[in-house]
Amino acid sequence: MIEKEDCMNILRRIIVGTVLSLIAAAASADLKVATSIEDLASVATFVGGAHVKAFSLCKGYQDPHFVPAKPSLMRLIRDADVFVSVGLGLDEGWLPLVLPGSRNPRIQPGAPGFVDASEGVAVIDKPVGTVSRAEGDVHPLGNPHYYMDPANLIVVASHLARVFAELDPANATVYERNAKAFAAKMQAQSKAWEATLAPYHGASIVTFHRNFEYFLARFGLKRFGTVEPRPGIPPAPRYLAELAASMKREGVRVVVYQPYFDANASRGLASRAGGAAVEAPTEVGGVPEAGDVFAKFQVDVDRIAVALQAGAAR
Amino acid sequence: MRRVLVFLWLAVLTASPGARAAAPSIISNLANPAIGVNGLFLCQGAPDLDQAYGMRPGEAEISVISTVDPYWTLTVYFVLDAQSALAEEAFATTTKIPGVTLKLGQLRASFGKHGLLHTHAFPFVQAPVISVNTLGEEGFKDAGAEAAWMTPLPWFCELTLGAYQALPADPDHALDFGAVSRGNMPGLAHLKNLVDVDDDTTLEVGGSAIEGLGSDGMHHAVWGADLTVRNVPLRQSNERGWTVQAEFLHKEAYGGGVYDQEAFGWYGSLQYRWAQTWWTGVRVQEAYRSFTDTLLDSTGTPEPGYTRGASANISYLPSEFSQIRLEYSALRATGVDGSRALDRRLMLQFSFIIGFHALHAY
Repeated sequence: MIEKEDCMNILRRIIVGTVLSLIAAAASADLKVATSIEDLASVATFVGGAHVKAFSLCKGYQDPHFVPAKPSLMRLIRDADVFVSVGLGLDEGWLPLVLPGSRNPRIQPGAPGFVDASEGVAVIDKPVGTVSRAEGDVHPLGNPHYYMDPANLIVVASHLARVFAELDPANATVYERNAKAFAAKMQAQSKAWEATLAPYHGASIVTFHRNFEYFLARFGLKRFGTVEPRPGIPPAPRYLAELAASMKREGVRVVVYQPYFDANASRGLASRAGGAAVEAPTEVGGVPEAGDVFAKFQVDVDRIAVALQAGAAR
Repeated sequence: MRRVLVFLWLAVLTASPGARAAAPSIISNLANPAIGVNGLFLCQGAPDLDQAYGMRPGEAEISVISTVDPYWTLTVYFVLDAQSALAEEAFATTTKIPGVTLKLGQLRASFGKHGLLHTHAFPFVQAPVISVNTLGEEGFKDAGAEAAWMTPLPWFCELTLGAYQALPADPDHALDFGAVSRGNMPGLAHLKNLVDVDDDTTLEVGGSAIEGLGSDGMHHAVWGADLTVRNVPLRQSNERGWTVQAEFLHKEAYGGGVYDQEAFGWYGSLQYRWAQTWWTGVRVQEAYRSFTDTLLDSTGTPEPGYTRGASANISYLPSEFSQIRLEYSALRATGVDGSRALDRRLMLQFSFIIGFHALHAY
């Protein structure tokens, strides 16, 4: 039997709990920002500071081409204020299900809360002539892995600052200031990374997928080949044997792969060519040390520099 | 007059090709819809069927999808086979209502799991016997409207309510909703719950019911329950994974103090992916009071009976856009009079996709 006093106590607790929840909600971030990949969430966090809570639907150790379109992802973004897509078709395999499935009109394409982060970026590898899947799973709009060039993330930061300012004018100056600080830090770090890789200018490496193109162009390296014969097509043993032979012949000794690609194929190829395979993340969170965009580039630059140095010593 | 015509003709011939090429068009093709085609071809050997071995008539599905305006998206699926060409689905969708997806037009009703699939997305070549006998081979398709509400519960919980046009049973519709009374508006309720067990594994539990008034004056209904456990390792989402799924379906008719349990049954399946290019699967099924291709009475007319069977397949996917599947299926059916029939099939299915491919739900 519940006494009247007990009822009052329960009611009091509910009221206090609700008020505390409302206070907590009011004190939390002004904008809830969801992104396709961790790199965009990292940039959004730098630009938004305390006024933004950013999170990514795709984990850094997950292939951004093949994210299972789980309904739980739809639920995660049902109350997001902003959604930042990589664009250029990288997330087209799952985003067309997840975004409408969120039933959140604020973040649908065309709404102020939808951001295509590729806008304003200088895109490379745009196919010329006929676009055919005989060339594999090509991206008709160009290479979507632009977030592998530090300079492109400065463009993204500036873009996000504009969008955040439109949606949250009260903090517009904070977003602009943070974007400028981000750009300054990225420019300074880029110089250091360029200096680290300068001794290997013009060196060739093999990547698993064509997701290092922007990085290679920025730091003066070359792609000798890819582990997969065409985008999205797994390698056959004969192809790998031929690639290993040509690597050996040309003195290419570094193979770069990501956590979500077949490490055995990369290691086997490197071993046959007399070189080494390096796990270098293309996305933030790909390895534990790559906690934000700066740390990711630092990990990539350090690991590739060490591998190239070891390859040159062989 | 002839001189004028010759002059005009010469004027056209001598006009600058560059100027002609540069003539602007007032019709833009920039907003063309995304178009895709899926071709499905089957080679079959079935010793228990009165059919020649070899290629069976294929099916092509053409999908046309485009944003209409800031409010609506239109999706149309045309299906072409040897006998017909028809707009299987044509519906408009809007997500402008917070928390709700509204869909209207010619729809595939949101019932159960297998009933949502297009033929090329079937995990096995044939639909389960109980699905064919309750909803139809490709689910329940009809003109209507559906609203799917994502509830504010801490897990993904979606409630869908639908209302459809009253239609009698036909070879494509296993359900008789053909009563001509004004109040006959078949309705659907579907509840879908999905929780993340961990980063890689999800558990989905669903329940569905559809009901309407038949041309015989009886209420006809199907209800179903489904359970799916899916594992897709995040680090190898394109290389590994498995899905265990079971679905129970029950079809009934009632009214005027009469109750008729028309058909019921279940299937359970396991699909396992062990490499980027390889999948395999097994399925077992049971169906009561159900029709099959081989169970016939003494006059050669199909009769309902008890059916149980199993299927096993292996699929090779050289890319995302093509698939070759080898499948063996065996069904044993027993009629009410004790007659027995076997249905064994060895099938080789080819599936090809060109252009835009509408994504399949998780």
